[in-house]
Amino acid sequence: MSDHVDGPRSIGDPSADLSDLFAFTSPQDPKRTVLAANVFPSAGESAIFSNVVDHGIMVRRVRVAGLGNDAKFEAAAEELRFSFRFGVLERDAAGEPIQRGTCRLPDGREIRFLVNDEKGASTSDGVFRVFGGLRSDPFFLAWLPAELKPFPNLLQHDNVLCMVVEFDTDRVLDPGKGSLFGVAAETVPIPQPRSLIGHPVPRIDWVGRPEQTNMRLNNPAMSGTDDLRDLWNQQQPFAIAKEFEPLFLQRLKDSFVNWDMRDGKQDWTPEALAANARVFLDDFLLIDVAKPVTDKSHLEIERSTVNGRPYETGGGRTVDADVIDVLITWLVNRDREWMQGGASGATKPGMKVFPYFATPNTELQTVAERVELTAAPDKVWALIGKFGGAWHPLVARISVVGSGVGELRMIETRDGKEIVERLDVMDNGKRFYRYTNIAGIPASHYTGMMEVKPKGTGCTVEWRAQFLANNQPDIVVRTIVGTLLKTGLESLKPRFGAVT
Amino acid sequence: MIAIDDLDRCLPAATDGAIAALNHESARRRAWQRFAQAGRDEDALAIVEAELVSAQFLGDVEALDRIEDLARRLDDETATRALVLARMASATHRFADARTHLAKAAVRGAPAGVVDRQTLSVDQACGANLDAVLDARQRIAKAGRTEDLVPLGALLADLDEFAHADRVYRQAVAAYDDVSPFPLAWTCFQLGMLWGEQVPEPDFDLAATWYRRAVGYVPGYVRARVHLSEIRMRCGDGIEATALLEPVISSGDPEVRWRLADVLAAHGDPESARVHLDGVRMRYEALLAKHLLAFADHAAEFYAGSGNDPARARELARVNVANRPTRRAIAQLQAIELSAEAAS
Repeated sequence: MSDHVDGPRSIGDPSADLSDLFAFTSPQDPKRTVLAANVFPSAGESAIFSNVVDHGIMVRRVRVAGLGNDAKFEAAAEELRFSFRFGVLERDAAGEPIQRGTCRLPDGREIRFLVNDEKGASTSDGVFRVFGGLRSDPFFLAWLPAELKPFPNLLQHDNVLCMVVEFDTDRVLDPGKGSLFGVAAETVPIPQPRSLIGHPVPRIDWVGRPEQTNMRLNNPAMSGTDDLRDLWNQQQPFAIAKEFEPLFLQRLKDSFVNWDMRDGKQDWTPEALAANARVFLDDFLLIDVAKPVTDKSHLEIERSTVNGRPYETGGGRTVDADVIDVLITWLVNRDREWMQGGASGATKPGMKVFPYFATPNTELQTVAERVELTAAPDKVWALIGKFGGAWHPLVARISVVGSGVGELRMIETRDGKEIVERLDVMDNGKRFYRYTNIAGIPASHYTGMMEVKPKGTGCTVEWRAQFLANNQPDIVVRTIVGTLLKTGLESLKPRFGAVT
Repeated sequence: MIAIDDLDRCLPAATDGAIAALNHESARRRAWQRFAQAGRDEDALAIVEAELVSAQFLGDVEALDRIEDLARRLDDETATRALVLARMASATHRFADARTHLAKAAVRGAPAGVVDRQTLSVDQACGANLDAVLDARQRIAKAGRTEDLVPLGALLADLDEFAHADRVYRQAVAAYDDVSPFPLAWTCFQLGMLWGEQVPEPDFDLAATWYRRAVGYVPGYVRARVHLSEIRMRCGDGIEATALLEPVISSGDPEVRWRLADVLAAHGDPESARVHLDGVRMRYEALLAKHLLAFADHAAEFYAGSGNDPARARELARVNVANRPTRRAIAQLQAIELSAEAAS
């Protein structure tokens, strides 16, 4: 959620809600720079761009205007703008819905492309190449931010709508005049005549560095503070309104004090913290196109500058950059000790070739079965709450390795198959456990959950599984899993009494 | 007042309704998957909001089943979950349950503003404390946001302040600052209801204009199509009335087949009409068995009219009045009872 669902106002149309911005050197060709912006957080298997929104990616040359406690980056007034617009749905020759897009380049030329065409489209001189379409969300947030507890990736299996523009760095950016750039992206309604009533909406959303809104301005651990995100989203990128600067700056300072003390240790002096807040107030993603941009270089330009020394990398943000752990480590302990969240990568890693963002995730299949029993929940849990317990009629033999979280159970079924599963969460208080299938079911990303809940004087038992079918039609795998779950739960009825 | 032609010229643009519907379905399905993955309260809330859009605009009556299914999986141990359960209960018109969940949410530390706002919605839906509700709605709507102005307009219409309601609805359209077509379609639909059903002397042309705008924003907006179809039928245009209904038969909303039956009956095809009405009757009874309070008023209207079962109509209208004694509900019961007396 580097900028995912970041204000009540932007919730309206998810396809206008910017989630992330990227700037990196092409892994395919180091002479080319890639800029990308994503919209529609938590998109499913299919999603389409809005036809009434202009999606802009803006680039300005930047200079380092101060170091250490005077750290400051100044953006030039001149701006290069890449504008993506999309049409209404059309039908192709087979009657399938398609969408076309256009990218207007800084020199006024336009590139037309077909949404979801991986090859994208290029200018005839090959300087520019663009793509637009659904991809796997490369962002991963593996913390519960309010509590600062590691957690599995909260965006696992999410897709996003992605816009990519790639270009010849020398010909477009002319780095000889200065190689440091700031990048921002915005979504704005395409202008229309509305002169009689109301007012034109200047902007729906914008984004520079990851997490300006959801973690810095709207620190989830600072309950009771006013939500400034809508006001922030209406600011002009590269030009925050002067009258609101003190408000945002004070919020950033307060937020950074809170982040600094999350581990109980003060790592930031008030002066350095204020300098850091000023740097983040100027919210643009920094990239130096003359220096190496890697998966590890995100925020290095800002961090070095605040630390009072020249930066060494190109900063930027690659598809696979672990931006949250970099940010949290910087804010909480000023890089004293690396803070690792509960995941080290997104659902899928980025690709080394155009369009660099991984193919979209297919829809997870869910199978859920439930049974209502007359016995007390503790009595039922005593039988089925043991991860290695032998109670299922389709199981011939079961053995376990280890104990507690990480425990493996090896199941031999009556028809001779072997299933291996790993315990991920066990909560006896809530009579709940969650596990992952390792082998034996033709599925990947398989998560199972068993839960017993009180109901009246009896209980309900729910068993759910979620997975991606692997080399088998969905219906086949659903039947296999459904039979396993249903047969197991049905066998509890004669033991514990069924509610009719 | 802004003339309707002027408003027409500056109606806000919004994402094409077909794109919005596709994206809505994408987000709805993904919300369920995310909930199944992690079971977070935020995901449950996203599900409820998405399902309510499906029910309100797309006539997806099974959305209520899915909401109830989700409710069975949640407890109200946390403030957020209690708020989610209250929202679900309100959606299915179980207002007493909603109040219980809201009280628990308050005890568990839910922000007072959020609890107050949901309580306001329950009070308005039940016709309770209307003076206080009006004060609160007017105070909230001073911020000029579409989502606050539309409920104020609805309340004013319920209080017979029709001209004021019209102004507030138009202000809601003018104030809109997003690109989702759903809120705009909703506001246009409310204006259609205002001029087609709520004012003492309906202006069907004006109502039809607003319903058309609602359908223009969201082509799959079932209720807007049904109401527009009724007006076209009243004008003797059975062809357009049918054309409006046929694309949304698959929604499962019984009112679509009910109105289609009316069109068929009026155009000399009583046998086809009877088949549809039998289907509508079965559908309503199935829905009432699961969500009695949610469908009591609509089913009462059906049985009082084309459904031709005054006793069932009276029974359901009474259920509705007992659950939420609004002026509209009481008027419906009185009309049904008068009609039954006249018939006997």
